[in-house]
Amino acid sequence: MFDATGEEQFSPRGKTYLLQVMDQIEDDEELGKEFRRLLFQCSLCGRCEETCSSGVDLLKIWHEQRAKAIETAPEEFAYLDPLKDALANVKNIYGLAAEDRAIYWLDELEDEIPGLEDRVYEKGKTAEVMVFLGCLMSFRGSQIDVLRSLFKTLEKLEVDYLVMGSEEFCCGHPLYLIGDDEGAQKLRNHNKQVMEDAESKNVITCCPGCLIQLREHHNLDSIGALHHTQFFDRKLETITQYKQTEEFSYHDPCELHRILEIKTEPRSVINKMGIKFREMDLACCGGGGLLRMTDPDLSDKVIQLRVAREGVKDTIVITACPSCREQLLGQDLKTKDIVELVSTALGGDVE
Amino acid sequence: MRIRDVVIGANASMYYKLNFGKIKGVYYPRSEQEVIAAIKHAHSNGLTVTPKGGGSGLSGACTGGNEERLMISSLQMKEVLTVSKDQGYIDVQPGITPDKINEFLTPMGMRFYIAPSSRDIATVGGILSTDGGGNDTWVHGTIRDKTRRVKMVLYDGRLLTIDVNGVKSSDPELETQLNKIGMSMHDVASSHGTLGFITELRLSIGPVINETLIGGLAEFEECNSLGRALNEMIERKSPVRYGEAITSAHVDVREDLNPPLLIVDFPTDYESEMKDIMDYKPLDKEGLARMKDIRLKLPKRNPKVGIQVALFEGYGFYGDSLVHLQDRLDMINALLIDHGLTPFAKYGHGPSKWYLGDNTPTYGLILHSREIKPEDKTGPEMLDTVLAIVDLCEATGITPKPEHKWLYSDELKKKRLAEIRAIIGQGFNPFLLSPECNEVLDSMV
Repeated sequence: MFDATGEEQFSPRGKTYLLQVMDQIEDDEELGKEFRRLLFQCSLCGRCEETCSSGVDLLKIWHEQRAKAIETAPEEFAYLDPLKDALANVKNIYGLAAEDRAIYWLDELEDEIPGLEDRVYEKGKTAEVMVFLGCLMSFRGSQIDVLRSLFKTLEKLEVDYLVMGSEEFCCGHPLYLIGDDEGAQKLRNHNKQVMEDAESKNVITCCPGCLIQLREHHNLDSIGALHHTQFFDRKLETITQYKQTEEFSYHDPCELHRILEIKTEPRSVINKMGIKFREMDLACCGGGGLLRMTDPDLSDKVIQLRVAREGVKDTIVITACPSCREQLLGQDLKTKDIVELVSTALGGDVE
Repeated sequence: MRIRDVVIGANASMYYKLNFGKIKGVYYPRSEQEVIAAIKHAHSNGLTVTPKGGGSGLSGACTGGNEERLMISSLQMKEVLTVSKDQGYIDVQPGITPDKINEFLTPMGMRFYIAPSSRDIATVGGILSTDGGGNDTWVHGTIRDKTRRVKMVLYDGRLLTIDVNGVKSSDPELETQLNKIGMSMHDVASSHGTLGFITELRLSIGPVINETLIGGLAEFEECNSLGRALNEMIERKSPVRYGEAITSAHVDVREDLNPPLLIVDFPTDYESEMKDIMDYKPLDKEGLARMKDIRLKLPKRNPKVGIQVALFEGYGFYGDSLVHLQDRLDMINALLIDHGLTPFAKYGHGPSKWYLGDNTPTYGLILHSREIKPEDKTGPEMLDTVLAIVDLCEATGITPKPEHKWLYSDELKKKRLAEIRAIIGQGFNPFLLSPECNEVLDSMV
C-alpha cells in the first residue's frame, strides 16, 4: 500500500504510530473518521507481520482495530451492510439465491464432465473428499476454467468427492475481515455440520481465504482442510511432464504463503510437471482484506504497480487463488491456476 | 488537519507526541524542482522546514519539535540516478535505502558498504544527517566516509553542492563565504536536517568482498577485560569484520548467554594474532549465525514484568572509558537505578568507529542500552534521566549516542552549525539549536 500510495499512513509503521497518538486522533472528528477508513485501506496480506523484526502480531491488531472502527461508527461502514445482509440471508457475498451455488458452473460443465450433477452434495450422500468452492468460484464466470480443470483432475484421479453446492455457506472470511466473528461463526457451524454429515475425511478448496477459515476457524477436528495444491501434491508423486511452450511467472497468493504458510506444495506441483517459471516478488495483488470492496481504486493501484514493475505482460501468471486471479484478469494479464496446468499435463484439458 | 499530517510524526525515538496543529503542510516531493517549490511555499509563509527520511533515527530530530513548520519527506525520492562501476560510485536520490541500493548493485557484483540495522527503512539522506553506520563501521567507516558529494536546497531556494573539499554554488558570493569558513561534507554529516534538504548523494561503492572468515566467541570475567581486548584490537588495527559485544542481559532474555562476551568474525589468517589478544572458542558457521541471531533478538524481547525502553540508545566508549568499561557501566547502571529504571540489556558494536563533534574519527565500542521502565514513570522524568546520563557521559569521557549523533549535547557541533546557518539562513529544523530544545523534547516523550 505504501509503495502504491507513497504516503506514510499506508505503511504499517505509520498505522502503528497513529495508534500511539490515538488520543489526539480521537479528539478530532475528521481525523478519527479518516483513521477508521485507513484501517480498511489494507489488503491484510501479512507482509507487515512478516517484516516486523519485533515479532508483533500486527494482523491481530488490524483485525481488532477494524472491529472497533465498525463498532465506533457503524454509519461510516454502511456500504458494508449489503454484504452483511447477503451473508445473513443467502449466505453468499453476491446476494444471489443460495440454491444457485451449483447452478452456473453446473450448467456450463455438466455436458463436459459426465456425472458432475451427482457430485453435488445432498443430505445422505457421503464422500471422502468434500470440495469447498467458496463464493467467487461458485458464482463468477471468470473462474469456470479453474473449476473445469479441478473437476476433470479429480475425475481423472478417481477421487471420491462431493461438492457442497447449495449446502455450502460462505466460509465467513469476509465477516472475519471486518471483525464480525459472531456472524462468521454462524456460517462456519453450518459448513462443519455438512462436512460431518458427509463423513468426509478431507475438505479441499482452491481459495486461500476459505482455507484460512476452514483450517483455522471451523474446528473441523478429524476433517483435514487442504488447499487444492496440497491435495494434488500429496496425491501425485509424479505428474506427466507439461509440454511447455509458454513463458510462465508465479504469483504466490499472500494468504497462502504468509498466513497459511503453504509455500512448498504449489511449487512442488509446478516442478513435478517440469514447468520452468519465474518467481514474482512476494507481494500482494491488492485483492485481499476486502480491499476491492473498501477501496477499489487503491486495489487497482497495487496490481497496476506490480504489473508495471515486474514485466509480466508477456508471460502467463500462474497462481492458486481465485481473488488473485480476478486481480490479474482485471489487468488483462493471462493467468492460469495450478490445477489448470495439472489438468493439461494429465491430458484432461479441453481447449 | 489530515491523517497524513499526523503520521509524518512516526519515528523510532521516544519523542513521538507531537503537537500536530503546528504542522502546516506535508510534502512528498519526487524531484529537486518539487523540493524547491515546497521550500518556497514554507519561506513565503514564514514557516520553518523539517526534512524527514525513514524516521528510524533515535534522536527525534526528524520530528521538527514544536515549530509551526512544513515537513518534507524524502520517501518518494528513491531513484538511482547514475552508477559508475569503474569509478566506484552511485548517484542516488536521498530517500533510497541501503538495501535498495544493494538490490540494484548486486547483479553488478558491487556493494554499498553502509549497513545500519535499519537499512531496510533508513534512507541514505537520513543516515548522512545522523552520520550513521552499521556494525561494520570499523571496516567501512560511517556514511560520511562513503559520501563523495551531496546536493542541497537551502531555505532561500539557493543550491549547494558539497564535497569533502568544499562547496560549490550557483551564487558565487555564497560559495566564497562558505568556503571561507571551510564548509565541507563533515558539516553535512550529522547536521540533523538543520542546513537544508539533500536532494542527491554520490556514494562510494566497491566490489563484493569474498574472503574466508572464522567466527569466535570470547567470554570475560568482567567488562574491563572486554574493554582492554577491544582496545588492543583497535591499537593493532585488527581486521575484525564483525564484532558484537554483549555486556549484560536480563535473566528473562539471557538464555544460555554468559555475558560479558564478544562475538567476532575475522579472516582465517588472523587467527594466531587474535589468540594473542583474547581467549575465544571458535564458532562454526551455524554457531556464529545462532549467536548473531540471539544478539539481534535481544532488543526485540520484553521482560516477563514491565516493558523495555530504549531510553538512551548508545554510549561510545573509547580510550580511557573503554579500558575501564566495567567501572563506567557500573556508574551508568547506578544512575539508572537511582532514577527508578532497571538495566535490561547492553550490547553493541566493537571495535567501531564514529566521529566527535570536531570531526575527529574515534574508535571504540558503541554500546546500545535497554531499560525496564516502571509504569508510572512520566515523560519529563524520562528526559530528566536522559539529561543526567549525558552529563555523566561528558564527565567520564563517553560519547553520548555516538551512532545517532545526539546533537543536543554536542556543543562543538552546534556552534559549527550555528556558524554556517548564520550564512545560509535559519529556516531548517531550528528547534534543535534553540535554548528551549530540552523543553520541547520534554513535551514529546
